[in-house]
Amino acid sequence: MSLRPLFEWADALPSSIALRESFNAYPLLLTSHVVSMCLFAGLIMLWDFRLVGVALKPSRISDLPTQVFPWALSGFAISFITGGLLLYSKPMTYFGNFYFWFKMLAMALAALNLVWFHYVTEKTIANWDEGKPTPGSAKFAGIASLALWAAVIVTGRLMAYSGLAPKWWDALGIGS
Amino acid sequence: MIDRLEPFFVWMQDSAVSAYFLENTWSSPIVQCAHLLAIAVFAGSVLIVDIRLLGKGLTRLSVEQVARSAQPWLVWSFLALVVTGVPQMISLALKQYYSPFFWLKMELLLFGLLFTFTIRRKVTLADPARVGSWVPKAVALVSMAVWGSVAVWARLIGLFS
Repeated sequence: MSLRPLFEWADALPSSIALRESFNAYPLLLTSHVVSMCLFAGLIMLWDFRLVGVALKPSRISDLPTQVFPWALSGFAISFITGGLLLYSKPMTYFGNFYFWFKMLAMALAALNLVWFHYVTEKTIANWDEGKPTPGSAKFAGIASLALWAAVIVTGRLMAYSGLAPKWWDALGIGS
Repeated sequence: MIDRLEPFFVWMQDSAVSAYFLENTWSSPIVQCAHLLAIAVFAGSVLIVDIRLLGKGLTRLSVEQVARSAQPWLVWSFLALVVTGVPQMISLALKQYYSPFFWLKMELLLFGLLFTFTIRRKVTLADPARVGSWVPKAVALVSMAVWGSVAVWARLIGLFS
């Protein structure tokens, strides 16, 4: 199933065109997207560093999801909405962008990693919450999250460099 | 004052470093990505303390404990920001020089640094009973506003030249 018709349909909608042609919308949305991303990714990465065992050592690991995650989530909500509107403003520009799809894949994997941590790894947290080394599975979740969110940030920036996509991607002709 | 710096920016623009970054396809994107990653870590290490100053976040720890834990991340990520920011400034020196957002960013950056390493540091390490209840909250709000504004102006440099 190709997503192209969906992107083409959204691209032709009057509200998408209006957003695309607005002078202020793009800078406003992009700036909000980047600033809210800092709020979100910064806190998540500190949590990841705590899982790995290199940051915020005096804190209980279980305090981070309950006491810090809601702040990160508010940043993610703004980032998600503004990112969605940026996508809606230029669907066909992003459809052919290699780094856009890479970013979406990294986000999906980061979400999966978070769900796995929450429903599996976190079940034994009482054994390693405070003052004890984190188990390998928790360290792996932290490293995976760091790598995936870093990939989201990097590919998000590289979306502005669509001409630097790998040759095999260009050969697919998806953007044309 | 700023006018006097023009020859310095012209010199940077004409330098070999600038030429290298403008001629090499990947050097600018790589440095920009590293800069963004450093921003994320810097933002996290600022916010974790500011949220605690507001009386939220890691409340099982004292403000001082959170601030001391975050301090190395704050310092090292800031150094990474400088290391990755300077080549970007050199490579597009004249664009930066003529951008009002660049100067706004630099003024706020200077204020943010002075504020973070003087007033904010003093409040985070002080005895909470002596500081009072509203001072930490005010410090947190100023910190968030200043560093948030630095990020906004920085983003706008690239969008409006």
